[in-house]
Amino acid sequence: MSHPAPSPIYTLRGAGGPLNTLHFSCLAGDTPLLFSGSGHGVVHIWNLNSRRAERNLEGHSGSSVIWVNTLQSTGALLSQGRDMQVCQWDLREGRSEVVDSVWTGSVGFCQCSLLESSSGSSLLAFAGQQTEEIKIIDLPSKKPVCTLVPDAKVGMVMCIKLWQPDSGPGPLLLAGYEDGSLLLWDVTQRCKLSEVKAHPEPIMCLTFDTKRLRGISASSEKKLSSWILDRQNNLQLQDLSVTLVNPGVSQLCVREDGKLLASAGWDHRVRVFGWKKLRPLAVLQYHSDMVLSVAFSDHQDPRQRLLAAGSKDQRISLWSIYSEGANSS
Amino acid sequence: MESLTPNTEVRLMVSQCFQTLTTSTHDKDITAVLQTLNSYLDDGPASTTTSAQRDEFQRAHYTRTLHFLVSNVQADWLHSLRAAQNTELWDRLFLCGPPEQALLVLMEGIGALRPSVNLDHLITITEKFLQRGRLADLLWSHCLETAPSDSPQLRETLLGRIVALPDLTANRLRLKNKPLFLPQQYYRLLATEMLTALERTCLALKNGTDCSSIFVAQILGKVCIHGHGDVVLAVVAPQLSACTRSDMVWQRVCWKMLGNVPQRWMESVLTGLVQAVSGPDALGRIIGNLVLTNKKAQFVITHKLLLLQYKYKTQVLRIILGYLAADRERRPLLMQVLRSVSQAWANPSAVKHTPLEQQLYVSKALLLSVSLLSDSELQGLRSELLQCMLGGMQSHLDSNVVQIRRVGMVVGECLSTRMNINGTKLKFEYDHDEETRELLAVMTPVDSSDEPEPGPVKEVDSPQRTQNKSSPFKAEPQSPQNDPDSELDSDDELTPYDMSGDREMNQASPPCYLRDCLETLMSSEDSVRVELSLKVAESLVRKNVFATREISVQLTKVLLHMEDKYNITGFLSLRQATMVALTASDCVPVTQYLTTEFYSLNYSLRQRLDMLEVLALAAQELSKPLAERRDSPVCAADSTDLMTGDNPLHWRQVVDKRIQSKTKRRSKGSTQPSAKAAPNRFAPVAGHFFFPLLRNYDKPQMTFDLLGGDHLVLGRMIHTLGLFMHLAVNAPIAAQMGRALLDFVWAVRYHTDQVVRRGVLFAVCCVFLSMPSQNMLTDLSDQLFETRTWLADVAEGDPDADCRSLAVQSLVLLDKSLKKQLQDPQALGPES
Repeated sequence: MSHPAPSPIYTLRGAGGPLNTLHFSCLAGDTPLLFSGSGHGVVHIWNLNSRRAERNLEGHSGSSVIWVNTLQSTGALLSQGRDMQVCQWDLREGRSEVVDSVWTGSVGFCQCSLLESSSGSSLLAFAGQQTEEIKIIDLPSKKPVCTLVPDAKVGMVMCIKLWQPDSGPGPLLLAGYEDGSLLLWDVTQRCKLSEVKAHPEPIMCLTFDTKRLRGISASSEKKLSSWILDRQNNLQLQDLSVTLVNPGVSQLCVREDGKLLASAGWDHRVRVFGWKKLRPLAVLQYHSDMVLSVAFSDHQDPRQRLLAAGSKDQRISLWSIYSEGANSS
Repeated sequence: MESLTPNTEVRLMVSQCFQTLTTSTHDKDITAVLQTLNSYLDDGPASTTTSAQRDEFQRAHYTRTLHFLVSNVQADWLHSLRAAQNTELWDRLFLCGPPEQALLVLMEGIGALRPSVNLDHLITITEKFLQRGRLADLLWSHCLETAPSDSPQLRETLLGRIVALPDLTANRLRLKNKPLFLPQQYYRLLATEMLTALERTCLALKNGTDCSSIFVAQILGKVCIHGHGDVVLAVVAPQLSACTRSDMVWQRVCWKMLGNVPQRWMESVLTGLVQAVSGPDALGRIIGNLVLTNKKAQFVITHKLLLLQYKYKTQVLRIILGYLAADRERRPLLMQVLRSVSQAWANPSAVKHTPLEQQLYVSKALLLSVSLLSDSELQGLRSELLQCMLGGMQSHLDSNVVQIRRVGMVVGECLSTRMNINGTKLKFEYDHDEETRELLAVMTPVDSSDEPEPGPVKEVDSPQRTQNKSSPFKAEPQSPQNDPDSELDSDDELTPYDMSGDREMNQASPPCYLRDCLETLMSSEDSVRVELSLKVAESLVRKNVFATREISVQLTKVLLHMEDKYNITGFLSLRQATMVALTASDCVPVTQYLTTEFYSLNYSLRQRLDMLEVLALAAQELSKPLAERRDSPVCAADSTDLMTGDNPLHWRQVVDKRIQSKTKRRSKGSTQPSAKAAPNRFAPVAGHFFFPLLRNYDKPQMTFDLLGGDHLVLGRMIHTLGLFMHLAVNAPIAAQMGRALLDFVWAVRYHTDQVVRRGVLFAVCCVFLSMPSQNMLTDLSDQLFETRTWLADVAEGDPDADCRSLAVQSLVLLDKSLKKQLQDPQALGPES
């Protein structure tokens, strides 16, 4: 007999709006924190020990916050809102003020992608003012690095992922577009490396495992499609695909150790898959509305690792799933 | 002495010998006499007798001598002979003389003697006789016609003795029978001896000697008519088929031999042969154009095997029809066969009155012959075939039996493809099963190269075998390629959670009240709401019985007229389940409604069948005891219980287990309490289900004629009535119901449709099962006798196998019930 589906270990209430995005910051020594961006333009900082909101940051003048992230080097927080601004917050020593902001010009829902390099500078990719345009800037200096516009008509940029491959000089960028195609860009050459038509509908989200060079994307339909990047930087669709019971996924997330994939479903459920074979493992039912975001925590100790899901029902649920480590399973 | 003719001389000599044997007790004399007698059988150069003397002895005195020896077998002198002498002198007399005389004497001796040492002696000699191949000599002597021209009686006796040898020995020896005399071995021996004789015949013919195969043919015929044709032909047919492949003389001999089989045995030889040969070509080589020359053979092959019998496999049909198609002279016969087979197939009375197996057989024959004919030949038969196809398909499609309809469809499709009517083809939708697949397979020609030479077969086999061996080696390197690091890549370490709760989301919420449900079903155009309402309807009906009673008839009416407009999955079962729930929870008004509607205007057959099904299911539900809810608290606890840690065991299970392990039990009695008795809820309302259905059956409506064309419904109705009868067992009303049902059924007991007949027999079975036996004798005494006769008649003569078995079952039930009653006439009240 299989175990009955698990329940959340605790939930966080009081965000007061749909939770569009979640980001963990649980490095050793510090208090484990969870950042969430709400539909009412507030970034909440949740203390995972006290399980309460420590601070609320309101910097997007009421417009929905669609993305939050932290810069590891400086501990600064980045938040992206629908007011076309990406704000950088200084949170050190109890401060909570916007120190810098970038105007993106994008009216869409495309989340930014951040790539930190060792030297202290980092690259930020975001959708530009033109619907098909992706801009990349260097962060402290805010100097534009490049602008990527596809030749073919592929529609609006829906989601992007910027990363630095182990082999090869410059960073690469994966972008999903409105017509369902997935493009791989070489940022330094400013050219398209590969293209694949992953979905018939707009790509809603994608995630990419940089170690295994394998990613997965979802759309408003029932199918998740997974793809790999071969040595020649060609994208190839894999036969391995998952069909969901109910259509629509808002976000996908692969756990750090490459074992689990979680999906935030429009059907109020979080689904957990084995990442290697995409074997369905669990269906987490708690929320009473669309799940908008999922995130795995970055705890150093694998046993403490959590899965968080933010939903339109204004709650965040936290789950401890498959976190026993290899020895106890 | 010189003047004596050889005949008298021999006679004198033989009588002297007999004299000596009876009187003398001296060893030397006896040995000398036996040697003398033996000398008449020698024809070597060392022989002391002339050939005339030998002929005379063998013609006139041999049988006499053997008789004498057999009858004196217990004389003293025999015992004094030594074993070696015994075999040399005594046995030799039997084994070297004319074989047929020896065999006749031996068989006579075996028949006459009581079990004794002498009998054993004769048996040993007979065994030796058979082992030394004397049978082949016997057959060969008849082939050469050197045997004395015998009387028909003698030949008849000889045939009988040869063919029935196993029976004769078995009758005499019983359990001590020798293995050689067992039918399996003996007939195989006989078959090889026949082949030897035929081989010698062929050699002789090649050397220019005249031979006759009449005797062998007669043996073959006699063996076949005795029912041992399968053993003999299993040996003979492959050998003949191999020999006739290249040798014209062999072919001639075979054809001649089969032509010589007496008419009265021809059928059994041919039926045996078509089953024993491996293919149509082999049959053609062995029997040649026998069908053209021999009327009996023609009748058997073209008529009896195809239209009158149907026990043979498809392969036999292939052989027969392939044989007819293989030769130019025989092809007209094939067309004739096609004509008669198509008539038989299309005959509406045959569709109704012949067993299903025969219809399948005839259909196969039809398809096979159509596939064997060429297009030009089919053109000649076109009009007849078209007529057959149209008429036959109509009568097949009219049938109530699914298989017959399916056969009609398959044959129609195949015929239309083959006949090429203006390029149009029939196409039916039907589910494939074994039968249809077999029928369709018949149309595809089998590889004609039947039974290749035994030699090459093995050589052909061997490369295949090596290929088979090599294939796994080829496959092996591929499997790692599929997932190169399967060990590393598996998700198996993660055990999945229960995902049964992962169902499709519903946009709308289902109705909570039965009235809302009714509203939606009646008037809503929203497919989602209709589907949701239909899905919850059954549970709502069962949940609130009082609410149900208010609108039960109305809801039944709505459901009965509902159509599957939105292609809802499981529509029929949902609808049916709801109607059953309605009938079960508010019995009287709903049954009243349904039984009245059953006979009213403007319902489709489907709807009427639905009504019957609903009534039957509801009756079944009512007659079952209420489901016990003993374990429900456990279930409830289970669902609310939170999982703690990863121990999936429920706490109650753990506690139970501990209690079990601590408890000492004295006896291993049943731990479960026995089922509680509950009243049969069907018994009080059985009449409401049963009698209204019987009321109006003979009033034909515009759209519904139960006793006319709608016999499918009639069959189902009688079946349903039988079911009610069965479920009403032990109810007080059962006796009345039984009487009414038997009366009703009497009118349709010889209905032409087997579905109706099956229903009738089922109903009769149920009456006998459910009616209390004391009522049976008192209430039905006048009908029982007639019913018995009718059932016996059906059990013997009905073409449908189900009907026959049901009739037998009813007879058994009737007898059991009557016996019980007659043995215990004082019993009052039902026994149970």
